[in-house]
Amino acid sequence: MDQALGAADTPTVYFNVQRYDPEVDAKPRYDRFAVPYEPGMTVLQGLLWILDHVDGSLALRYSCREAACGSCAMLVNGWYRLACKTQVKDLRSKEITVQPLPHYPVIKDLVVDMSGFFAKYRAVQPYLVGGDGQRAVEPASGPGAPAPEEVAPGREFRQSPADRAAFEDATICILCGACTSSCPSFWTNPDYLGPAALLKGYRFAADTRDCLAERVPLLSGEDGIYRCHTIFNCTAACPKEIPITEALQSLKRMASRRLLGGGGGGGRQAAR
Amino acid sequence: MWAWLFHRISGLALVFYLFLHLMVLSSATAGPAAFDRAMEELHSPLFLALDLLLLLAVLYHGLNGIRVVLFDLGLGVRRQAALFWMVMVLTALVLLAAVAVTWPFLFGGGRAG
Ligand code: SF4
Ligand code: FES
Repeated sequence: MDQALGAADTPTVYFNVQRYDPEVDAKPRYDRFAVPYEPGMTVLQGLLWILDHVDGSLALRYSCREAACGSCAMLVNGWYRLACKTQVKDLRSKEITVQPLPHYPVIKDLVVDMSGFFAKYRAVQPYLVGGDGQRAVEPASGPGAPAPEEVAPGREFRQSPADRAAFEDATICILCGACTSSCPSFWTNPDYLGPAALLKGYRFAADTRDCLAERVPLLSGEDGIYRCHTIFNCTAACPKEIPITEALQSLKRMASRRLLGGGGGGGRQAAR
Repeated sequence: MWAWLFHRISGLALVFYLFLHLMVLSSATAGPAAFDRAMEELHSPLFLALDLLLLLAVLYHGLNGIRVVLFDLGLGVRRQAALFWMVMVLTALVLLAAVAVTWPFLFGGGRAG
């Protein structure tokens, strides 16, 4: 971004924001807003400035303002970004186009309907299931170890730091929905679980305390993991830079190993 | 996404070619005269140029196929972009070699075969 933004004189950037209220408008339109630039300004700050000073009817979602809640994902200059994490300066343009995440139904302006997204998230049971403990490390014994009765449900499922580290990347997802929105397999089949839900599935499948026998069927059905065709859009779109495709490839191997009767029990060996 | 899109397009082109191939072959089985005529036409610069396009589709689809198989084995997933460029460069090199070989027959008025 050239002198205009660095200099003290009238730094202005222009936000072209897609506006659409399906209940009123026949089709989306773009409103152009001149926004005074300040050093360090994020796209979210620009949108909030518009909301405060120009048009209070602009609809958008945000909450944490620090890339932690995942509610402000949108298309900024044609790419998937968190509005709160995106510096206007880094866009290297005075024209900023803001659109809602594609391939989700628009509720209003930048707010999309994520209910399908979260239904899939729930469908993969995003919590430890089963817990037959088969993959769990034996509980500690000897002096200093907790007495068995202190450990519900009768048994402690311990996990080594190395086993935890194997799926560390997958735990930092903030469910912003960018990856699933960017996935051509999801575009052509809206029932596909999509990268976000499958990544969450992998996060538990790779967890040594989870039960693979119960986990894998949740993820490997007709609309599951095998619909990933390694297109890599999700990995490119993820604002948290999670190597999603790599995780989904690991999940595929875990699932096919079980299908072929090869066990696939070990979280560590299956995850890498 | 481009790697995947090209893969799909080249795949569809190859399926289309397969049927075309069978049609041309069966038209050439109508007798010695028909066979000679078909061969004559297939040696024309136009068909040689189409052959180069075919080679492009085969090369890309095959090499990128290997790239995707590597991903399924869990290899190179984080280097997918570099692998894509390797596929492109290899495709271009082999294609250029093929163009060099067919050049005289395409533009030099020479007859292939
Ligand atoms: S994996 Fe990345 S892009 Fe997908 S929902 Fe999580 S944070 Fe967003
Ligand atoms: S406002 Fe929470 S991620 Fe942007």
